[in-house]
Amino acid sequence: MRLRLLALLSLTALIAVACDPGDPIDPEDPTAEVEETPPVDEEPDDPAEPTAGGTLVAAIGGDPDQLDPHTTTSSFAFTVLENIYDTLVQPASDLTMEPALAESWEVSDDLLTWTFNLRQDVSFHDGTEFTAEDVVASFERIAEEGENAFRLDAIEEYVIVDDHTVQFELNRVAPNLLEQIGPFAGLAIAPAAAIEAGTLADEPVGTGAFQFVSFTPGDSVEIERNPDYWGGEVPLDGIRFQVIPDEGVKLTSLETGEVDWIDSVPPEQVDGLAGRDDVVLGQVAGNDYWYMALNNDREPFDDERVRRAIAFALDIDVITEAAKFDAATPNETAIPETSFWYHDYAPFGHDPAQAETLLEEAGVSDLTIDLMVSGEFPETVTAAQIIESQLGAVGITVEIRDEDFSTWLADQGEGEFDAFALGWLGNIDPDDFYYAQHHSEGAFNFHGFSDAELDTLLDDARVETDEDTRKELYDAAAERIVDQASYIYFYNPDIVTAWAPDVQGYEVAPHGQRRFNNVSLDR
Amino acid sequence: MSDDRPDQPPSDEPAEEPRQPSAEQPELERPEGEHRPQWRQTLAILLSNRAAAVGLVVLIVMVLTAVFADQLIRFPINEDNIANRFAPPSADHWFGTDDLGRDVYSRVVMGARVSLQVAAISVTISLVAGTLLGLIAGYRGGWLDTVTMRAVDVAFAFPAVLLAIALVAVFGPSLRNTMIAIGIVFTPIFARVVRGSVLSVREDLYIRAIRSLGASDGRIILRHVLPNVAAPVIVQTSLSLAFAILLEAALSFVGAGVQRPTPAWGLMLADAQRFIAQGWWLSVFPGMAIFVTVMAFNLMGDGLRDALDPRQRTLIEARGAGGGEDE
Repeated sequence: MRLRLLALLSLTALIAVACDPGDPIDPEDPTAEVEETPPVDEEPDDPAEPTAGGTLVAAIGGDPDQLDPHTTTSSFAFTVLENIYDTLVQPASDLTMEPALAESWEVSDDLLTWTFNLRQDVSFHDGTEFTAEDVVASFERIAEEGENAFRLDAIEEYVIVDDHTVQFELNRVAPNLLEQIGPFAGLAIAPAAAIEAGTLADEPVGTGAFQFVSFTPGDSVEIERNPDYWGGEVPLDGIRFQVIPDEGVKLTSLETGEVDWIDSVPPEQVDGLAGRDDVVLGQVAGNDYWYMALNNDREPFDDERVRRAIAFALDIDVITEAAKFDAATPNETAIPETSFWYHDYAPFGHDPAQAETLLEEAGVSDLTIDLMVSGEFPETVTAAQIIESQLGAVGITVEIRDEDFSTWLADQGEGEFDAFALGWLGNIDPDDFYYAQHHSEGAFNFHGFSDAELDTLLDDARVETDEDTRKELYDAAAERIVDQASYIYFYNPDIVTAWAPDVQGYEVAPHGQRRFNNVSLDR
Repeated sequence: MSDDRPDQPPSDEPAEEPRQPSAEQPELERPEGEHRPQWRQTLAILLSNRAAAVGLVVLIVMVLTAVFADQLIRFPINEDNIANRFAPPSADHWFGTDDLGRDVYSRVVMGARVSLQVAAISVTISLVAGTLLGLIAGYRGGWLDTVTMRAVDVAFAFPAVLLAIALVAVFGPSLRNTMIAIGIVFTPIFARVVRGSVLSVREDLYIRAIRSLGASDGRIILRHVLPNVAAPVIVQTSLSLAFAILLEAALSFVGAGVQRPTPAWGLMLADAQRFIAQGWWLSVFPGMAIFVTVMAFNLMGDGLRDALDPRQRTLIEARGAGGGEDE
């Protein structure tokens, strides 16, 4: 089970590194009060008793590699850091971006200058005031050495107008700028002084609802209430994030009351937990997707007919059920049904006869596919075995290669594969879903897909400001990607966590954030 | 499973009293009288040990299972059927079905082939390589001995499982590379066992005698030394087969061995781990298979050790080979 979590971790890392926008597994600021009406969200929690206080014990599946939000790629680190740091803007539960440290913003007529008005009542945990200088220092650091530098590539320059106003000068129109600068704590605002001093990795200092207390590698991270939190009073006294790598042990710890909250629930356990009194299950449709890619730089996968044949031969309903039980939704495209950008398009279905016809047309027989997966993401290993069996039915041999994820990544980078299966986590904007993966110049187009028309669509959509027009462009792009089987999409998994019944006010966010600023303990 | 290396059998003892190397050297030391061939004698002693006899029978069954696996399975081993996942043992699916709806019985049966194949081939590799190294080092002595044995010591410094994982990581995981890795890991054990025996045999009177008759080193090693160090090697082989199966299971368990969907026992256990709540049969049957097979090899190894040990043998023979139960 440790693998699963690790997997998530690595994936997040990948994603973060990747050019996908994402707030993968890392939660961000679910606090919604950001808008000028900070207290708004507070109420919604449970009117229960914020008086209780107390320390919540949260189980996380692995050790944070470090606690520097700009350079870590660990989902476990982000689970902690989302509660310590804030971003300029943050995703709301409907995946639109809402104010956080920036309370409002204006865009110039030429769409190339964004002016952010910062909150004035915010201070860092060390007592220093939050100002425009911190924003610029943070973004410059992210652009320079952060894992999410790619998100900022539309930004040419940061201009400090006054202490609480900052301007972003863009080098191109970027309708998705907000999704890029605020999806998760990878884009956190840290104090300029700490950045200067280089102490962030050991001593996180943010503006969030909780402040850092201690980190015992391999054991736990402790954080405590920030009494001056700008988002309103924080009910909990503090949180101890306990590292429990084994999924089974983690779940048992929740059942026995040793921990109050766990960061994930294995899909096979979801059914068993539903409807129980002693455990509350939180399950929402997520924005992640899992898929398989074929190496377009190798024969015969450069032939669209072969790729399509494979897509026809696969039954993604079975793959989804095998890998995720009931905790995912099969989808032939990347963007989930719950998103505004969803495009209802499913041309393949399960049609082995069509697959055989296409293979014949392409003159391919005796095809053997080297399919690369990683046990750190067990669902890819499960999916691979179903793929092996389904492709076997149309005469294609699949050799599964289960690799350590670091080796996997290296092989992916070098194009050492016929096919691989993996997932992308934490996407919000459609550009996140498509550009880096499918544009011929995309940074994560490891499978060598190239389609001039798609490139045009993606380039145009990226700078299109009219939302409906933009959606049309992305719908067309999605169809081209699916039709040519650049990726063969499988499913969008649900985000599933669980907690004890006396934990009040926790909300499972579709973007994957785990924030506790509205949580209280009813005991 | 784990890191323990198979213990070495008490390598020195058996070799000390040269048994008649039987038919192999008639000119020199003609065995007097009509001895039963030595292997039959050994077998008789072995079978008189009930535990060893059980081990032998189980192994024969396992080998037959592996050989006739194609006839014994009841469903295609990789045929999934999600609608029928986690079906408990029944008349249709004797051992139930797994998380993908595959028949566990058929996969366990086919797994016998994988396990025994890995065990046989990897132990053969280490047997040949280790014996060769041990013979040369022990017989030649000097710097050759020093270099070889220090290398063996270095290899021993690594826990077996870790060394195997490291080797597989270098070669890339696959059935073939798993066998090679296990073979390499076990080679030093054989080298040490053989070398120890050779050291004691080398100075024995009959060796000196034949050397003085002008026999070549090659002839001495092959015809006189080798047969006299065979006993500990045979015991070590039996024990190593057990450890090879365990090691293969361990490697597969951690994903560094045989690749899915090949039904290796260790791999089945690894997959079953997640699903203990959904079906005990996923883990129990492959686990039993490993347990029974490893135990059988161990029982037989113990029995062989006794049967080939001259002192034990004398004791048993003294009591009458038929009824001696000396375990």
